[in-house]
Amino acid sequence: MTKNYDVIIIGGGHNALVCANILAKKNKKVLICEARDTCGGLATNDLSNFTPDFCSKVKSEIDNIAINHSSVSSIALSETGHHLKLTGKEAEDRKTLEQLAPEDVERYFKLQKKLSLFSKTLGSFMHSSPPRLLHKNFSDYFKLFKLGLNVRLMGRNNFNEFARMIGLNIADELEDNFKNTLLQGLISHDAVTGSNLGPRSPGSLINLLFRMANHNNSLFGGIQQAKGGVNAVIKSLEDNVIKRGVEIKTSSFVKRCIIENDHVKGIELDDGTVIHADTVISSADPKSTYFCLLGAEHLDTDFKRRVKHHRSKGRVSKLQLTLNKVPEFKNLESTELSQRLVISPSIDYIEENFNYSKFENLSPEPILEFSIPSLEDDSLCQDGQHIMNIQIQYAPFNVKGGWENKKTECIDNVLAILEKYAPGIKSCITGQDFISPNDIEKNFNVTGGHWHHGEIQIDQLFMLRPIPGAAQYKTPVNGLYMCGAGTHPGGGMTGIPGKNAAHEVLKNI
Amino acid sequence: MNKDLTQAALKFSPFHNRTSRACRTNSWYRWSGYTVVAEYSTTELEYTATRNGTSVMDLTPMYKYEIKGERAKEFINYFVTRDLSNMDNNTVAYVIWCNEEGKVVDDGTVFCLNQNEFKLCCAVKMQTWLKDSAEGFDIEISDVTDDIAALSVQGPTSCSVLKNYGATDLELLKPFESKDFIIDGYKVLISRTGFTGDLGYELWTNPENAENMWDSLMESGKHLKIRPMGMHALEMVRIEAGFIQTSTDFVSTEHALRPVRMRSPYEIGMGWLVHLNKESYFIGKRALKEEKENGTTERILVGLDIEGDKPAHGAVIYNKKKEDVGIVTAALWSPTLKRNIAIASLMRPYGSKIKEDIFVEIYHPEELEYKKIWATCKIVKRQFYNPERRNLVPAELY
Repeated sequence: MTKNYDVIIIGGGHNALVCANILAKKNKKVLICEARDTCGGLATNDLSNFTPDFCSKVKSEIDNIAINHSSVSSIALSETGHHLKLTGKEAEDRKTLEQLAPEDVERYFKLQKKLSLFSKTLGSFMHSSPPRLLHKNFSDYFKLFKLGLNVRLMGRNNFNEFARMIGLNIADELEDNFKNTLLQGLISHDAVTGSNLGPRSPGSLINLLFRMANHNNSLFGGIQQAKGGVNAVIKSLEDNVIKRGVEIKTSSFVKRCIIENDHVKGIELDDGTVIHADTVISSADPKSTYFCLLGAEHLDTDFKRRVKHHRSKGRVSKLQLTLNKVPEFKNLESTELSQRLVISPSIDYIEENFNYSKFENLSPEPILEFSIPSLEDDSLCQDGQHIMNIQIQYAPFNVKGGWENKKTECIDNVLAILEKYAPGIKSCITGQDFISPNDIEKNFNVTGGHWHHGEIQIDQLFMLRPIPGAAQYKTPVNGLYMCGAGTHPGGGMTGIPGKNAAHEVLKNI
Repeated sequence: MNKDLTQAALKFSPFHNRTSRACRTNSWYRWSGYTVVAEYSTTELEYTATRNGTSVMDLTPMYKYEIKGERAKEFINYFVTRDLSNMDNNTVAYVIWCNEEGKVVDDGTVFCLNQNEFKLCCAVKMQTWLKDSAEGFDIEISDVTDDIAALSVQGPTSCSVLKNYGATDLELLKPFESKDFIIDGYKVLISRTGFTGDLGYELWTNPENAENMWDSLMESGKHLKIRPMGMHALEMVRIEAGFIQTSTDFVSTEHALRPVRMRSPYEIGMGWLVHLNKESYFIGKRALKEEKENGTTERILVGLDIEGDKPAHGAVIYNKKKEDVGIVTAALWSPTLKRNIAIASLMRPYGSKIKEDIFVEIYHPEELEYKKIWATCKIVKRQFYNPERRNLVPAELY
């Protein structure tokens, strides 16, 4: 007979750890079952370059994370060498822009202020369970009313602007405002990164607002590099929960949840081990949770249709290069290489890339976001060698010809682009590791290999996240909850889904 | 000539050569993309054949689905509200199925051919709903509507007709059982099921045997008052039997445009088919449990025994001639019962707790003028006609 726990959490990503921490503080006996041999899930140095710092609302509820963060600037690379470096600090950015894009300065700060207000307004809604309207619960109506009120209280002009912009594509907004194509390219990049949208796709602006809400409501501020990388943050979270008495079982793949009379009773591991608990929280993506862990036989047809139609195909691949020396980029100091470097020179460049991925092809000139974090942080060097993390936007889940045949082509395209900006970089490379969305699905058990476990778009946000009828971290089965990036408010290493889920669970046990 | 006009828009059933020859009124009815006979000669004669002899009706247009696989039984049990976990081979079950809100998608019959193979017959096209429901079950679902020719053989002499036809020991077949026969060298599945409320059987075979089957049956029933029956007569007998019909007595969730028009099983008298204590989950169980526990059922489907002899087609039902409390969904002057009967949908508590002072407002056409009749009515069991012979084993022989 196995030990009994109050709560079992499936998966050991950062949301699971945050959730476990809050539950353990309330004296719940928690077990985390992680399929891989380490915790963290998608939050690993192999996949993530930077993290937003956990916001104060999350930090205040979990044990202190002993990690130093340093702010990171964003640098849009230009082939001509006129790179655009934005830090999120107004004085510095004003200086930079006056030099490179004098006509756009005022408009840039005006737009930044406007978007910041919008992201703050929407962001205020991220820290509680979204309302569930069909249940006709007064507090749910009140919550929605409050959101509406917050939006309205921004003032008449801002409200009108908000209504105009909420479904807008980012390209229209930027082309109306700015002359500098590099600036347009950089902002558009951040609006579409990780998503299935192009800069001209409707709704790409809300994706940017979501990103800003996770980054101190700023366009380029709030991007952080943790000492030791994302792994260190995870390690710290893990240490904290272990201190609180949470048990973590790694290399324990959960095969299914045990359901009796529409109530979860525990889980069964791959090896047949059964562990009992009356509350199970899945940090897996919605499709895995519903179809694999819970099982289709416990769901209604209409519900299954919604799960099946949940958009969760990733479009970002990852290339990690090992370098025997620091490459030289035109017009860049070597210290700047630890910052966030973006090759996305214009809106059209992005849109063309998007077109390739739309038809399941690889772009010969991909969009890259990269950095060499080991320049700032020795602990990230491998055998004395630097590592370069490259994120390739629009390298889609499905590729014509299959990823097993297309991997080399994709890497070659990336290196060809890099060679343009840093001639000779190829000769520094001693090793490479490529991860496609397909690999993410296989290696990290995330259906579709999507960063956020599902698109961040208006029909998959708030009470519609992950799918209508399953908001508030609940599932149709009693005692089974969700706490992953697929739930409200979404992914992005914020810990908010985990935190909100913990409160929802505590309400009910 | 316009090509569209030369091609038939409706499908012919495999019995068409026979039914069209027998149809002396050239009166047709559209049923699920097929054309079938509405009336062969006179509806009353066809009705009388069912009640006093044997009627034969072409059942081919009924949607038929084959469900196969190791988890087929588990799926069927999940798909319908009734507990079929103990369903035996060669049995048939009347079932309904619901959507996630616990509203009825359709009713039909499930045939258990063996534990890994089932057949579902129903009135509404169900391919998409079945397929989406089967997500995660790894079973095979195919539409076999056009691959099976079906006849309904109903009436007091039907067992004798079928014995003459070659169905040995058929009288021993119990209601809701089925059996395979080889007759004249071809396979026929005979089930003791039907939509008439009388002793009766349904025959299922490959379309290529259809005409032979029809001819042999007519020959076998020559002295047993056999007669082909059209859809109009079917409507009469099914109302007498109290059977409900999709799109007439309730609207399928697949067809309802307005959510308020969808009906829960408790609202259409099908509560007895909802087994909330079924061990496993079934589609709509959570919603139905909530409805049952909270008593939020809004309507009720009842039988009405109405004074007078004017059928109350589409009539509005009133409480004390004042408040509008429901509507008649099907009505008939029953020739066998000599009663004016109807099936009606009422707003609770009328029909459930309040059964007094219920009136029907009938508009009866009399030579281009409508006569308005206020008829009192009694709320009665919907099964108006239920002869003992219907369930007798062995079945009555003539």
